[in-house]
Amino acid sequence: MDVQLRNNVKVVGPPGAPVVVLAHGFGCDQNMWRLVVPALAQRHRVVLFDYVGSGGSVLSAWDEDRYSSLDGYARDVTEVCAALDLRDATFVGHSVSAMVGVLAAQSAPERIGGLVMVAPSPRYIDDEGYRGGFTAEDIDELLASLEANYLGWSSAMAPVIMGNPDRPELGNELVNSFCATDPAIARVFARTTFLSDTRDELRQVAVPTLVLECSQDAIAPREVGAYVHAQIAGSQLITLDATGHCPQLSAPEATVQAILAFLETRR
Amino acid sequence: MADLTVARRDTEAGPVLLVAGELDFVQAPVLRQHVAELALWRGACLTLDLSRLEQCDSAGLTVLLLARERARAAAADLVLAAPPPKLRRTLAITGLDAVFTLRPDEGSSGLRRDEGSSVA
Amino acid sequence: MCRTGDVDEPFESGSETGTDAAFTALLEDSAEELYEAAPCGYLSTLMDGTIAKINTTLLDWLGMERTSVVGRLRFPDLLTVGGKLYHETHYAPLLRMQGSLRGIALELKTADGGRLPVLVSSQVKFGSEGEPLLIRATVFDASDRRAYEKELLHRRQEAERARAEAEAARRQAEADRGRLADALAVLQQSLVPSSLPAIQGLESAVYYQAASPEQLGGDFYDLFPVDDKRWAFFLGDVCGKGPEAAALTSLTRYTLRAAAVHDPEPQVALRTLNAVLHERYADSGDPRFCTCLFGVVEPDPRTGRALVRLASGGHPSALALRTGGGAELLPTPGGMLIGVLPDARMRTAQTTLNRGDTLLLYTDGLTEARTGPDAGSMLGEDALLSFAAEHAPAAPRELIAALTGLLADATPGPTDDTALLALGVPFTDHAGTADG
Repeated sequence: MDVQLRNNVKVVGPPGAPVVVLAHGFGCDQNMWRLVVPALAQRHRVVLFDYVGSGGSVLSAWDEDRYSSLDGYARDVTEVCAALDLRDATFVGHSVSAMVGVLAAQSAPERIGGLVMVAPSPRYIDDEGYRGGFTAEDIDELLASLEANYLGWSSAMAPVIMGNPDRPELGNELVNSFCATDPAIARVFARTTFLSDTRDELRQVAVPTLVLECSQDAIAPREVGAYVHAQIAGSQLITLDATGHCPQLSAPEATVQAILAFLETRR
Repeated sequence: MADLTVARRDTEAGPVLLVAGELDFVQAPVLRQHVAELALWRGACLTLDLSRLEQCDSAGLTVLLLARERARAAAADLVLAAPPPKLRRTLAITGLDAVFTLRPDEGSSGLRRDEGSSVA
Repeated sequence: MCRTGDVDEPFESGSETGTDAAFTALLEDSAEELYEAAPCGYLSTLMDGTIAKINTTLLDWLGMERTSVVGRLRFPDLLTVGGKLYHETHYAPLLRMQGSLRGIALELKTADGGRLPVLVSSQVKFGSEGEPLLIRATVFDASDRRAYEKELLHRRQEAERARAEAEAARRQAEADRGRLADALAVLQQSLVPSSLPAIQGLESAVYYQAASPEQLGGDFYDLFPVDDKRWAFFLGDVCGKGPEAAALTSLTRYTLRAAAVHDPEPQVALRTLNAVLHERYADSGDPRFCTCLFGVVEPDPRTGRALVRLASGGHPSALALRTGGGAELLPTPGGMLIGVLPDARMRTAQTTLNRGDTLLLYTDGLTEARTGPDAGSMLGEDALLSFAAEHAPAAPRELIAALTGLLADATPGPTDDTALLALGVPFTDHAGTADG
């Protein structure tokens, strides 16, 4: 299958400019980046995509085995990079995608030359000598919350939501459409995300890295941001004055500024 | 494959079963059941009219031998009437031509369609 | 819950004064009072979630004081941990992107440690420049609805579990069937030799095909030494199929082997088998029979000839393909179907195989195979004899190969078990076997 179609790939910005790949995390889709894309695309080629199973991706390409490990998502990234023949791109990953980016940069170092990790966490569940912020029971509760909210999701409507990425007005008629997806797929993504432990991968990072954390983040608390920063040699940590887990939505200007400054250092 | 049909007619001499179709492993139990349900008496003659028998395998032979046992137990006789050439040959190969009483013609066993009971 | 229908419609009241009183009461129901005492919760927060305003109804549900909430807590602080995660991954981003959302199911933590299922709808209030100012939310008590939904969810999960169980059962059945097929295959192998022995001055070949993997075959054969010069062989067909027939096949094979070692004279071996089967089955109410050719061959490497003594128990005659061309039936007359009479007649016939001669034993699976363009006619004994004559002379392997080809093109007959056993004296003096 055509990867660009499969992952609903969108490219904006001047051709030939340095490339920035924006990857969404668990929950919604590439629309998460809508407030930062215009500023980034002025002087950069911006690549947007949806992981298979999210947003406007081709749902039939979803496979439970593949997407039950973060490697499956990393393959989506490297396959998108290969399809566009990207070289030395900067990968901006939000939330779980930050760690997906670490994995992708390991398997395709020629394609990914820099990482921006937005609100990253290598492990959400507390461990001995490590505080991720959650217990295993908390994650079970999240899965229950997902169940409760997918009752209104109708598979009959999925083609309308998923199949018309070019006509967002169709999606807009459906409440909550940006985060709508097949509940079975969302459950797998949630489990894969919140049960992951990729702490060991952090020390393998060999590319320039910016860690962007929020000052008040219920999902990735500041001590996790400090941990990530400490584990990645030579990384830069910026704490945005933002509440919540999605600074690209709650503090888009500050987020853009931090990303652009990092991109400047890579020119 | 032709289904096996068995039609019974009772004569003074004894019951006559017209056996038509293929007497094989699958269908032999049909004839076996008919034979088991027959009323036989001392000196009676059970006739199996085989003129319309198309096929008879080893399971078929077994049922013919069972009919013989059934008749013997009731001190009755068993006659195989009008066995087709192929069955004759099988009986000869298996030495059973010396065990059964064979009669070349259908004789009085001829049965019209509207007579007797017919069971598929 | 906000249920507008709960309020009596005052205009439908019959009394004029009653209507006035109700209407007056409505007018006195100020906006502020309506807000505070509404049958649903109201909540306004800053864009970062900090609670700026909350109505009494919601505070009552939470069991909290206004002073400990307003300006002190953020909306996610009211939620369970799962709800917080959902808030961060779905609720907040959606609200930013869409400006509004409806009917999100969440659970509030109440002061007494309880949980209140609610449905939340939110709307962002924008300033004159289009900048987001605050978030207004209505909160509906969804205890009843959530209980119902949980029931639905529970039922769906049960249905999914039942489907998974059915699928597991189906797989189990498939595995069981596979194991049964394996067991039957092993059992089937015990009914015929796994390979034929190499015999000095004699070549042999065999073909064996059971009707189906699920049905144990009723055909059998064997070839084994009875002393240092002679070899016994037999091939036959038990009446019927399935486990009972397999039991009979097994009994037959071991009876003949034992009998042959005791006295290899063919008619004696078959008479012994007859007595055993008759005694075992005749009075069982389930009589069982078999046909069988039994022979003893004595190859003489010095002369290159082999003496064959053969007896039949109701089995089709063997064929001999001669080295000079042509084929003939080896009559074994008088042999009775085995197991019918307590004392069956058997007679031994005798022939000599010269160099290049081949003896063929077969079951009726061969002669009853349907051939011809419409698969309408059985091969039959006469056609088999002609086929053999055309192929003579043929070594055992060649003959079995030719007949296998014939069967491959044919539709199996009603008795589709087939066994073929060929024995021949090779032109050169070397031992040889081939399994079918």
